[in-house]
Amino acid sequence: MKGMKVKTDSPVTRKAREGVMEFLLVNHPLDCPICDQGGECDLQDQSMAFGSDRSRFTDNAFTGKRAVEDKNIGPLIKTIMTRCIHCTRCIRFASEVAGVDDLGTSGRGSDMQVGTYVEKMFKSELSGNVIDLCPVGALTSKPYAFTTRPWETRRIESIDVMDAVGSNIVVSMRTNEVMRILPRLNEDINEEWISDKSRFAYDGLKRQRLTTPFVRNNSGELVATDWETALFDIAQRVKDANPATIAGVAGGQADLEAMVCLKDMINRLGSEVLCTEEAFPMINSGTDFRSNYVMNTTIAGIEESDLVFLVGTNPRLEGSLVNARIRKSWVHNEMCVVLLGAPVDLSYDYQYLGDSFSVLKEIADGSHPIAKALADADKPMIILGSDAIQHNNGSLILDTVKRIAKNTKKSLNHPDWKVFNVLHRNASQVGALDMGYKPGMDSLKCDKPSLLFLLGADADKLNNDDLHGNAGVIYIGSHGDAGAQMADVVLPAAAYTEKDAMYVNTEGRAQVGRQAVSPPGMARHDWKIIRALSEILGVSLPYDKLSDVRGRLAEISPTFDRPGRVEETGFDNVSDDVTIDKITHTGATAPVVPALLKLRDFYMTDPISRSSLTMAKCVQAYDEAEANPYSKPEAI
Amino acid sequence: MAGIARITPGLSASLCRTQSVPAVTTLVRTNTTQAPKQEKSTYGPLKDQDRIFTNLYGRYDFKLKGAMARGSWYKTKEIIEKGHDWILKETVTSGLRGRGGAGFPTGMKWGFMNKPSDGRPKYLVVNADEGEPGTCKDREIMRHDPHKLIEGCLVAGKAMHARAAYIYIRGEFYNEASNLQIAINEAYNAGLIGKNACNSGYDFDVFVHRGAGAYICGEETALIESLEGKQGKPRLKPPFPADVGVFGCPTTVSNVETVAVAPDICRRGGEWFASFGRDRNRGTKLFNISGHVNNPTTVEEEMSIPLRDLIERHAGGVIGGWDNLLAVIPGGSSTPLIPKEVCDDVLMDFDDLIRTQTGLGTAAVIVMNKSADIVRCIARLIDFYEHESCGQCTPCREGVTWMAKVMHRFQTGNAQQDEIDMLYELSKQIEGHTICALGDGAAWPVQGLIRHFRPELERRMDEFDKKRATSN
Amino acid sequence: MASPRIVQQGIKQVKPLMSVDRTEARRRVLNLYKAWYRQIPYVVKDFYLPITVKMGRDKVRELFLKNKHVTDIRIIDMLVIKGQMDLVETANIWKQRNHVMMFFKDTVNPKPKDFLSKFYEGQE
Repeated sequence: MKGMKVKTDSPVTRKAREGVMEFLLVNHPLDCPICDQGGECDLQDQSMAFGSDRSRFTDNAFTGKRAVEDKNIGPLIKTIMTRCIHCTRCIRFASEVAGVDDLGTSGRGSDMQVGTYVEKMFKSELSGNVIDLCPVGALTSKPYAFTTRPWETRRIESIDVMDAVGSNIVVSMRTNEVMRILPRLNEDINEEWISDKSRFAYDGLKRQRLTTPFVRNNSGELVATDWETALFDIAQRVKDANPATIAGVAGGQADLEAMVCLKDMINRLGSEVLCTEEAFPMINSGTDFRSNYVMNTTIAGIEESDLVFLVGTNPRLEGSLVNARIRKSWVHNEMCVVLLGAPVDLSYDYQYLGDSFSVLKEIADGSHPIAKALADADKPMIILGSDAIQHNNGSLILDTVKRIAKNTKKSLNHPDWKVFNVLHRNASQVGALDMGYKPGMDSLKCDKPSLLFLLGADADKLNNDDLHGNAGVIYIGSHGDAGAQMADVVLPAAAYTEKDAMYVNTEGRAQVGRQAVSPPGMARHDWKIIRALSEILGVSLPYDKLSDVRGRLAEISPTFDRPGRVEETGFDNVSDDVTIDKITHTGATAPVVPALLKLRDFYMTDPISRSSLTMAKCVQAYDEAEANPYSKPEAI
Repeated sequence: MAGIARITPGLSASLCRTQSVPAVTTLVRTNTTQAPKQEKSTYGPLKDQDRIFTNLYGRYDFKLKGAMARGSWYKTKEIIEKGHDWILKETVTSGLRGRGGAGFPTGMKWGFMNKPSDGRPKYLVVNADEGEPGTCKDREIMRHDPHKLIEGCLVAGKAMHARAAYIYIRGEFYNEASNLQIAINEAYNAGLIGKNACNSGYDFDVFVHRGAGAYICGEETALIESLEGKQGKPRLKPPFPADVGVFGCPTTVSNVETVAVAPDICRRGGEWFASFGRDRNRGTKLFNISGHVNNPTTVEEEMSIPLRDLIERHAGGVIGGWDNLLAVIPGGSSTPLIPKEVCDDVLMDFDDLIRTQTGLGTAAVIVMNKSADIVRCIARLIDFYEHESCGQCTPCREGVTWMAKVMHRFQTGNAQQDEIDMLYELSKQIEGHTICALGDGAAWPVQGLIRHFRPELERRMDEFDKKRATSN
Repeated sequence: MASPRIVQQGIKQVKPLMSVDRTEARRRVLNLYKAWYRQIPYVVKDFYLPITVKMGRDKVRELFLKNKHVTDIRIIDMLVIKGQMDLVETANIWKQRNHVMMFFKDTVNPKPKDFLSKFYEGQE
């Protein structure tokens, strides 16, 4: 209230706090020694700061404390409900931020219980955040249970690579082992949340790892060997190959340093064939202009928008925190959401336009009512899912969406507002495009490469028919996944927690991830592997240190030199006007739908999460929940 | 029939009185200094013609016909047409204080709603969630005189330009709710409420909402939450309901009795109402007398009537005679009890009960004679509060539970003497540290017990110790 | 008063440390050598050293021979005293393993300097 004076340190206040602390502890179990929240417990801190130093709870001898049965709410969150102090933060998070009304209270007064009413899985892609929110040890992490104390771990600030959002994370490390992953506050990107995949897939860092180089022998088996042998084997293959058709493919989690080294090495070998696994149509100005392939308005910019038009994307699963931001705007700013794609549950209401391409065309022609809505909106956003433009008709969809964006911009009151946005799925994609990698592997397949370098490319999009007859495949990556399976030489590299590396998120924001632990076994940092290889191949790259590589990155693009900041994209008007290719509409067009539809699809999307036991348990729990005949069929 | 015969002269008599009073005041005003107004020194009994609720015992028809015969809906149109300023003025003159327990001046409270409108509709919410143990006044109004309440809604609604009234009625009051609904339907059909209510050009709707049986929903913000379909948990104030109330609109929450007396105040004049009771404690009031009395009853009486007079005149006296009285809880379960020596001369009004460290509350007098186990009585009350605490604020949720545990030990004496002080301090730690007044209401009975019956508690502990010593 | 004393000190015969003649000094050195020689098996065992007894004895011999050019009796005595102290510290396990292994520091491989060797080694 206006003019209100709040005294925070008067004797009355202190007495009241002490009183409240005493009451809170009356029914709180004294199990701090076996509680996972110990050391980072708000109740402990408050008790130390405001509580009394002695207890008056003599009734313990007569009646004891309240006890509550624990609940099973899935494989991620462990509940010890006796510790609950009824702050209802988890309920508020679930219903306000996550948009899932799974949690609630039943009962009244001291009989109140927080839970899911009936035993069921807390189905949300952001569920893990309630662990951070819980001020006591009532909700703790199941995979992390009884492993470390917070004061034993070292906390390394890093960047998440499970999606293209680039969530800021803190990696807790003890004895060269990642113990857990927590979110780090960044109001521009993930606020204070991270998705469950970012938080819980870390056990995938210890499974399926490549710890030694492998070379395929004559009988077709991969045999463990040492670095020198492996590198010389590659040197032999390079000597045999046609230098112009040596190719490189960057996978979804490749870092900037490795990608620039790979590019420089292959260029030095005399080839230009470098591409990313994820496709992006090269129509019109293609990836020449940055505004064509990044999220121009930035994630925080979603809050300014009053109309979001989602095309062929399921942001809830492709970029969970982008979706959380849209929901935040939807709740607080009365933003409207329109969706063209699969009718998925986005945790907020939207106007559904179906999944047909023809609707998109109508909007571009201006004959659809949404075209008018877009024109009337103050700051409209069109978010095109990268997933929807992977297939053959991608260029057609991209062209149409670009035309809609161009039409919308004509009537815009804010000349600086950029309408067109792309939501990528892979942490490496924007960086690779910035660097000059060609999106998609169509051109590579045409070239029939005689030697192929896979940099963590595990999406299983290539097979041997795409290559030259006896072409060699060299896989550089961290996990024994699809890429390693088809490789002739496997070079073990570091995962994202094991290297100092940079990534560019879907906004075009370069960020620095830091090394928490060292790579396992004989695995080496990705860029060093390529640097060493280049020396063997006789095309030594002129960088010995990480700072040298970063200097090289800064030469390529100024965005790489300013981590943490979004470089505003320019020339978007010019890029709109460039129409080179004539796009012909050929026959029926497939529905514009993303690949990730259900929460089940969300858990395992990349080599790390595919190797994670926790993520596998999530999928299992989801299937069990679906199979329960009493559960209502849910959209997510 | 008899009721009609009785009421008409009563009305004319009151009209005569209101006419005579201005004559006196004009005379006084010729003086340079205002002479002290002649104050009464004895209060009660209330004359039959001064009663507002003439069908309190359900002897007559509760429906529209009977109600109109008893004077309801008489010249309501004229009252409405005199405008909200006039109604507010009469309410302020009458000195009416809220009848729900807190005793906030009603005229002032309704006046808060007269801020310039920002386009949001305003609402009157009638608190008919009468859950306070010992209290049974609103139900008598609703089941036997529902038209008084509906007419009151219209008058009070006009006073604050409300669009509609929501009557939040306790879920257990099934018959009361159905009688009320019958009366509302009648009033709609007769054009008394609804569009162009009473032909006054004022649109006013009345809705009944039945609660689901939670004491806490009688708290005004919890009531609003519950009305909105949420869990009945009190809201933090500010913003007060007058700013942001039900459905986010300005709202006034008033007790049934407060609203129901409004039409009669307007008809007979605020001066008439103010002629009862002491200064700052004006008017007539429904008293509920229960417990160890010969005839437990609900009766309308003048404010400031002596407690002893009230009990002996209307309830047939304490069982076993006045000297057999042990203690009285004067205002519903959440007010502290007072022992016999205080009861001897205390007046039943806000100020005199505050003087004796208790409160008028809802004027539900619970009488306990010497056959009562006073500690057990209070322990039972705390059990009630433990069960009804919503659990939102820690001091109430945990503290009341703790108090209940201690009180049950005190009942058998299984405690140490210094725990009495601890319990008192505990109750002080609850009181005033919660969002709503339930915590206070739970703390006060305990404080009253310790204040007046500490020797009794100590005696029990000594006895318990002795028994244990001998058994060992 | 002061100057005659200085002169006196200057011409004074140097005071022996322990040994009065070379024979005695030699005996002290040999005794120390024997003590070390006998202690080596225990040292290897106690410290769980990654060396053989022979390697240890060779190292002792090597370190003694390093000072064979010393002729000044007082210096020999001082070296013996230091050697004795070292022996006591080693025998009582006041030292730690790496302190003992410091005698073998010259056998440690040098850290790689160029990128490729560093890469193979897996060291920064």
